[in-house]
Amino acid sequence: MTAVTLSNANSKTTLVRISAGAGLLVVATLAVLIPWFSTFAVQRLLVEVFTLFAVALAWNLLAGYGGLVAIGLHVFVGVGAYSLFTLSNQLQLNPFLLLPAAAVFAAAFALVSAWPMFRLSGAYFAVGTWVLAEMMRILTLNSPWLGAGGGMPLEAMGDIDRWTRNAGVYWAALFVGVGSLVASRQVLRGALGLALMSVRDSEPAAMASGVPVARAKIALWVLCAVMAGLAGAVSYMNTLQVTPDASFSLNWTAAAIFIAVLGGIGTLEGPIVGTVVYFLLRETFAGYGAWYFIGVGLLAILTMVAAPGGAVSLIPEKWRLDPFRIRRRMAESDPDRSASFPTT
Amino acid sequence: MQIAAETLLNGLMLGALYALFGLGLSLSVGVMRMINIAHGDLIVVGAYLTSAVMSGAGAGAFTALLVVIPMMFALGWLLQVTLLNRVVGRDPLAPLLLTFGLSIVLQNVLQEMFSADTRSLQAGDLAGLGFSVAGVSIGVLPLLSALASVALLGATHWLVGHTHFGCQARAVSDDPGTARLVGVNDRRFFAIVTGVIFSTIGVAAVLYALRTPFSPTAGPERLLYSFEAVVLGGLGNIWGTLFGGLVIGVAQLFGAKIASGLGPFFGHLVFLVALLARPQGLFGKAAS
Repeated sequence: MTAVTLSNANSKTTLVRISAGAGLLVVATLAVLIPWFSTFAVQRLLVEVFTLFAVALAWNLLAGYGGLVAIGLHVFVGVGAYSLFTLSNQLQLNPFLLLPAAAVFAAAFALVSAWPMFRLSGAYFAVGTWVLAEMMRILTLNSPWLGAGGGMPLEAMGDIDRWTRNAGVYWAALFVGVGSLVASRQVLRGALGLALMSVRDSEPAAMASGVPVARAKIALWVLCAVMAGLAGAVSYMNTLQVTPDASFSLNWTAAAIFIAVLGGIGTLEGPIVGTVVYFLLRETFAGYGAWYFIGVGLLAILTMVAAPGGAVSLIPEKWRLDPFRIRRRMAESDPDRSASFPTT
Repeated sequence: MQIAAETLLNGLMLGALYALFGLGLSLSVGVMRMINIAHGDLIVVGAYLTSAVMSGAGAGAFTALLVVIPMMFALGWLLQVTLLNRVVGRDPLAPLLLTFGLSIVLQNVLQEMFSADTRSLQAGDLAGLGFSVAGVSIGVLPLLSALASVALLGATHWLVGHTHFGCQARAVSDDPGTARLVGVNDRRFFAIVTGVIFSTIGVAAVLYALRTPFSPTAGPERLLYSFEAVVLGGLGNIWGTLFGGLVIGVAQLFGAKIASGLGPFFGHLVFLVALLARPQGLFGKAAS
């Protein structure tokens, strides 16, 4: 992986990195301190922002890096939320302590579902995952022990006072949002990321050069399931009630797709830009009801036709930053490199 | 025993309708290599269109078809020329995402125009008619709609196999580049194919709306049933789609007998199990 080293790593970039690090630290501190200087309404909105961002990031990772378009990604939102609610209510435990369990459930569900789902590819995989999500929705809808259509409340939250509850859910959401971003970056910079990008560019070539294609895709599937599952668990901790129609709802995936398409599929900056655009539009036009969705849908269609790379691609190449340092460039000074494929 | 026979028969008749839903999808997969996510929503659009024509002209459902089919053809042609031709063939996922956006737009437009309430088409005298054979009662309307579905599938099969249109379709499907070399303008041809697909959607919409009340959000489920019929039968195989539809229909109605809310669940379950047993579909060729 020596081919990745930047050709002009000089003192200027070091300075940029130090100031960027300091800036990041300030922003992170402010983000953590928000519950002390904001209203509950703001915190609730931010919980929505962070959880939807995590789902959009997961969708974008799958589509942009794994070539796996999952229209049924919301199945993990529901599985995460329901496993957290059920465990907390049955065991009478603090839901915050059960977040890791929700992640484990989502991961296990992803592993099992990979068995039938990975028989499909491309567009068939996309709709196949939707079938899976629909099955889970109908199943929970018809399970009296899960509260059936009415869903169930998060009973253990009743013992926690309002400030602590809101702040706790906010911090959990912050952790899920930022954690997903950091995890994605680490994965993409590592061996799995390299394998995924080679699969995305040419699956036969990747297979021929010894990339464990199936294993890389399943690993990504499980990672994204955990991200979406945690987002679902935290999101419904925010509303204190989970129902099948809301948690196993296509709206989750639809929003994630719009965010990824508007921001730019196959980049980490895309979902960040997309989430900002999505929530700006939503908060501005929320009063227009269905017209808002029509507008966002048309905007996404327009983006697909006119600028398939999303908002990020509208920035000219030379001004484009690579804040996550995940882009892999061929070292220009060494033409021989192009002949030797990097193998994982 | 009688109940089982009745469920089986009703399942087969419902399944024939699902196969008709799947016909358009099967054509678009076969010829253009794309899945239209808005397929189900377009069935619902067709149902609302028929409802509007019926109340506007005071016509019956089948008379309304004379207006609805050309309108749907025009709509399909227009959609392909203005939007879909820009993304088809570029990357298989671009049409998928574009039609996904279209699906959300259509659902919300329908909701704004017709409210979220359910509607149904009046079948007139046909609605209550039925007869019984050996103690098994059969509704005339479901039987007619099943027969019409099978007839339309057969006609399409003949169209693809025996006409110049079908010859072009197979050529474009096999290799668009070579088809262009021998004088098939694939973009213009796609517009006609989408027109034909939308016409089948129009017929499917009327038969569906005569049987079941519909609402603006009913589309996605129609898409999933169509998709299952197509994949279960094997891609690009019209008789396979019919068989796939029949399997889903029968599974749903027997499932509903086990637990009333779980009908569609069993349809999906059978689809997943069949997928594990035969990923290429029941009538598909071994390599996809």
